[in-house]
Amino acid sequence: MAEKVAVVAFKLACAPDLHTTRERLVFNLTRGLFDELGIDRHAIDSFVMNSNDFLDGRTISTVFLDAPSGAYLKDETKVEMDGVHAVMYGWMRIMSGQYETALVVSLALTGSQVSPYVYTQYSLSPAYERQVGLLNELSGAALQAKAYLSRRGYSEELLDLVAAKDLELAAKNPRQIRRLENAGVERVRSSGPTYEPLRELHCYPPTDAGCVVLLASEKKAAELTDKPVWIKGFGSSIDTYFFGERDLTRSPSAADAAKRAFSMAGLTDPAREIDFAEISALYAHEEPLLAESMGLLPEGEAEKAYRAGDTRPGGSLPINPSGGSLGAHAPCVGGLMRLCEAVLQLRGEAGDLQLDGARTALVHGQDGICAQQNGVVILGV
Amino acid sequence: MEETRIVHGYWELSTFNFNIEARGINLMLEGFKEKKLKGIKCHQCGMVYLPGPFYCRKCHVNIDEPVEISDHGTVRTYTVQYADIRGEPMPEPRVSAMVQFDGCDSWVMGVVQCDPKDIHVGMRVKIKWKEQTVGNMQDMEAFVPE
Repeated sequence: MAEKVAVVAFKLACAPDLHTTRERLVFNLTRGLFDELGIDRHAIDSFVMNSNDFLDGRTISTVFLDAPSGAYLKDETKVEMDGVHAVMYGWMRIMSGQYETALVVSLALTGSQVSPYVYTQYSLSPAYERQVGLLNELSGAALQAKAYLSRRGYSEELLDLVAAKDLELAAKNPRQIRRLENAGVERVRSSGPTYEPLRELHCYPPTDAGCVVLLASEKKAAELTDKPVWIKGFGSSIDTYFFGERDLTRSPSAADAAKRAFSMAGLTDPAREIDFAEISALYAHEEPLLAESMGLLPEGEAEKAYRAGDTRPGGSLPINPSGGSLGAHAPCVGGLMRLCEAVLQLRGEAGDLQLDGARTALVHGQDGICAQQNGVVILGV
Repeated sequence: MEETRIVHGYWELSTFNFNIEARGINLMLEGFKEKKLKGIKCHQCGMVYLPGPFYCRKCHVNIDEPVEISDHGTVRTYTVQYADIRGEPMPEPRVSAMVQFDGCDSWVMGVVQCDPKDIHVGMRVKIKWKEQTVGNMQDMEAFVPE
């Protein structure tokens, strides 16, 4: 069995419209990654494809994407969930000792070629929610936001504070697609209403995205990079499907996933031991909600923490120093965007967004309406 | 026990768009106008594809070298069809075969105009082109024995 597994390299492409085919996207990402590393597809022992057939529009869609990714006559498997689960799967394959390397190949063209909300729409129960006809991705997020703010006694201004913090950082990040000038509280507050209390700039922008992430055993990582980023822990958990059975004011599944990840990584006081967090918060309220649930902020203290700047770079626990998912997000790829940003921070390659002394990071990915399923990865150098 | 009931569901597919790169298919259809087969060859391993993709499956490199392929070839496998996929009997049995044209690695599927008793693996065939070819899939009317 392998001792430990590193993230050794990645390649990420994001745009409102990438103007490309699904096949060309994965070809360019994999070919580009191999060329940068001076390897070819035969250096990859296992391919973990990460996409969603609803979004691709073809059933068993990876059959079209395997060969352009370099997987012809190679070990190949698929994860139809957020990318952090694909990373976990690749990590497990290497830990088994059967493989030295695993490549995660992820894509979703939800900016130009299909609405991201389609995914949620078809996940609804045909016997109940679809018959009622009121629940969708945006109404679900709005209901969760209102329930959370009301339960905690937070003002709706918290949503503007979260979004302004994220969008100010996203504006400085060349990998983000929503890069606004004057992305402050005023700009957020004056964006158009969607479902109350949410406004346009509280919500992630529809994004075309593709990402490849190369994982390797300790031995192989030494050949491929001088800056390995180690996977220290992972946790996953899923809440009940039915919306009306959930506690919308918190996320027990995020709490559970984080607990497992902390335990595997040997963290006993995570809020202190973690230097920063990259959280897939698709709507502004999800960032404090998930941070509280994962134990990064004390429950009930989020508004105070955001007002005090605790979650900004330089604060006691920076959250989404990359600008987070309000800058760009696509299903499947979303968690990998957060992972790539964390890897850059840990390697000291985050440019204008670089934090001082970042050595341990929490990365979070989610799936399902209002983050029904959560995955947490602890990375470290 | 309560009876189960049926609720209606649907999968709306019209919201999907597919960007496509059709160079290999366009090259093939352009060739049809002149009653020729045109594929794409990998400069690295020499594999000839029809229709041509933009990359080689084996070498994982961009490929873009048009190559002309003979319209004579060899039957590599075939089937005689007596009913359609829903089980409806065919008016006449239909022979469909995969043919490897001389100078090409890919096999191409089409109808062979011959007696079902005569078809066999290794049979030599050629393309029967429409008299007026326009550059669509119907230009290739059928395969016929050489």
